[in-house]
Amino acid sequence: MENLRQIHNRQKRALFFLLALLALAWGFSPWPTVFAGLILGVLFGLYNFWILTRRMERFDRALAQGEKAPSLGSGLRFASGIAAAAIAVSLPETFNLIATVIGLMIPYLFLLAERIISQLKHPDPGGKER
Amino acid sequence: MGLLAAALAVGLGALGAGIGNGLIVSKTVEGIARQPEARGVLQTTMFIGVALVEALPIIAVVIAFIVMNR
Repeated sequence: MENLRQIHNRQKRALFFLLALLALAWGFSPWPTVFAGLILGVLFGLYNFWILTRRMERFDRALAQGEKAPSLGSGLRFASGIAAAAIAVSLPETFNLIATVIGLMIPYLFLLAERIISQLKHPDPGGKER
Repeated sequence: MGLLAAALAVGLGALGAGIGNGLIVSKTVEGIARQPEARGVLQTTMFIGVALVEALPIIAVVIAFIVMNR
């Protein structure tokens, strides 16, 4: 199984590719508010994942050195979700609210799909690693 | 009524996330204590678990915020 950084990097690459496609769609499609909302949501979702990876690494370091474990930063991620929704609520002529909420969840769907595909490609050999 | 709905959504969502995260972290720490060489695998599994557990409460918080601002 890959480590945290590898998963995060792959996720980041895929999401930047998606962001490029969304930016194209935002520029050329007749629904710019929907795609702007999706872009906003994906950006905040990406930020959420970055926080999670950083906090996980810090947690692991603290555990290895026997220090007091820091928090996993759930509150910060909730707050960033609220920030995305707040921007969409305050600028309804620029961002579609529903699209923003959908965009916020796209990185999670990506993670789930990526892990399922990776597990199917390289099945764990009888849990030997564990 | 909207405020009550928002409070219920956030409260119950956070309750579920708290229980789920607590279970994941406690089992991971237990696993690392038992098998320190499996730290990388356990950390990756914990990352995926925590990310997926937190997806729903984030949606709950966002919906609560939208309900409050209606």
